[in-house]
Amino acid sequence: MHRSIFVNLATKDVQRSKDFVTALGFSIEPKFSNEVASCVIIDENIFVMLLAEEFFKTFTPKELVDPAKATETLICLSCSSREEVDELVAKAVAAGGTTYKEPTDYGFMYGHAFADPDGHIWELNYMAPNAEVQHLQ
Amino acid sequence: MPQSICLNLPTKDVQRAQDFMSSLGFRIESRFSSETSSCVIISENILVMFLQENVFKTFTPKEIVDAKKANEMLISLGCGSREEVDELVAKAIAAGGTTIEDATDYGFMYSHGFVDPDGHMWGLNYMVPNAEIPRTQ
Repeated sequence: MHRSIFVNLATKDVQRSKDFVTALGFSIEPKFSNEVASCVIIDENIFVMLLAEEFFKTFTPKELVDPAKATETLICLSCSSREEVDELVAKAVAAGGTTYKEPTDYGFMYGHAFADPDGHIWELNYMAPNAEVQHLQ
Repeated sequence: MPQSICLNLPTKDVQRAQDFMSSLGFRIESRFSSETSSCVIISENILVMFLQENVFKTFTPKEIVDAKKANEMLISLGCGSREEVDELVAKAIAAGGTTIEDATDYGFMYSHGFVDPDGHMWGLNYMVPNAEIPRTQ
């Protein structure tokens, strides 16, 4: 079945987050966006919701993580070429994100990553077509 | 632009996480699974990868969140009906998950959710087709 996913992340500044993902080239779904939420379209069934911290808190009884200090998830997006991986990281850094490691070339897979202005980690991978997948561990 | 996502989550017990997701009816992609990782197929362009904590640690310079105490993100999956939302929550509880609230019927959307054995929060939403979405914020 063609199921959809929304990955909800908390942000200290919805407008800054929106400007950041727009600078990377992603579009915003206005139907699900307002002053406290910004809905980023990854694909027709994949969305990342950037929620103001106060709004995010209404959905969990637990503490909110400071993503600059700790990680619960790594969002990994598949790219169609090595160049796209590099371009997105370059755009992220230019738009206020940071990167904390060098790109990794596993042969069958090329990967790099950035942290967005709130500290959430986004990985970018290009898988070589028909490459034999090797277990990384 | 990227059109598929793999959401990586740390787990204290890969086998338990895999058994839990299988109980909910999700398939495992064996090509990307090993003793330290389990790749759950949500849709053809959506994967959730459970990684043993020591493996997850190699991908982030930050601390790993104990998701039972705090959250960085909330996953929300689209469902095809109210019944599917209820069924998945019932299966999750039967398989060792918990739920933190009652189902909510917003009219345009029916929502419930569960917490997996590691503490990650999963929302389940059924959007009523063509319903008008109120802008409440």
